[in-house]
Amino acid sequence: MDIRVLTLDIVIFILMGISVLSMVRVVIGPTSEDRMIGLNLVLAQISAILVLIAVKYNRSIYLDVALVYAILGFIGILAIARHAASREDKE
Amino acid sequence: MNVFLKWKIVRIILTSLYLMVGWILFTGSLALFSLFLGGMFSFLVALLTYSIFIEEKEAARRSLLPHIYLIVIYIFVLLFKIYLASFKMVFSVMKGNINPRIVHFRTRLKSDVARVILANSISLTPGTITLDLDEDHLIVHWLNAKTTHSHFASSLIKGHFEMWLRKIWI
Amino acid sequence: MMWIVQFFMGLGIFFGIFGNIGLLRFPDIYTRLQASSKCSTTSLFSIFIACMLLEGFTPMTGRILLIALFFLVTGPVTSHIIGRHAWERGVIPWKRKKVKD
Repeated sequence: MDIRVLTLDIVIFILMGISVLSMVRVVIGPTSEDRMIGLNLVLAQISAILVLIAVKYNRSIYLDVALVYAILGFIGILAIARHAASREDKE
Repeated sequence: MNVFLKWKIVRIILTSLYLMVGWILFTGSLALFSLFLGGMFSFLVALLTYSIFIEEKEAARRSLLPHIYLIVIYIFVLLFKIYLASFKMVFSVMKGNINPRIVHFRTRLKSDVARVILANSISLTPGTITLDLDEDHLIVHWLNAKTTHSHFASSLIKGHFEMWLRKIWI
Repeated sequence: MMWIVQFFMGLGIFFGIFGNIGLLRFPDIYTRLQASSKCSTTSLFSIFIACMLLEGFTPMTGRILLIALFFLVTGPVTSHIIGRHAWERGVIPWKRKKVKD
């Protein structure tokens, strides 16, 4: 087995394990901000996994997927924060 | 020709130039049809968003065209400082001795872009996060607080960043 | 060359694991924000640098550099959004209690 593919596979599997670990904070987090922090970490690790997959298979289409995923995640967190703030104003 | 009309045309052209550079970086091709399509759409988007991208009162020449080579050096200095900060963060995670405080101080930078970049670089370096930026007033959360005095805290946190940014953007 | 790539990959995994431990261990929102934002930015940068070294000079390297610059801009902005939301909601920061000598 090629050492380059082996290294990339090991890093991808460890990153998947780490993102499961940070989902724990999303599930148990006492407030909404804790859940947002956990989601931000999961987003970062999944885009790193997408970049690693693009390097492994040598396909540049996965890089576009990673970029769009990062942009949509950023906008999503902004929308969640806006929505939570506006709902607290009404109450 | 009216001065305000001239300034509006300059803003539209500058915004579409920035958008065009972004388009070329994203697509990565220099084919004629791609360039034509990018130019058309960046002009359409610039017509809609020029008043948000460059405000009407923002008149300093330096805030639109900064020193490019100094920005490259600044990014490398920032990367080095980020690695240093993360090692400190790992040590404080391991030991668990933290002493968090909230610190308020002011900045001397004039340009809006420079203030935003100062706030972002403060967020990235050792144990500090910008919570609020209101005109020139910053509220910073500090993980390992050594002092709560505003003047000393500002000189400890801002460090060399403010000096570099004053050279780049005034 | 492979050794440098593996060193950077290991650095990225190291920072990722410690960021998550800090996220689970620290007492309140602001301190968790500190640990997660800083360590995630550094681990992402290490992995991207390793990928760029592995690829060499190809069009993919420029694309990866673009993603890295995007994360350099949006990482602190995201942490600022979450911190500002907590600050305006009135969350009181955690303080170490004074030990009586």
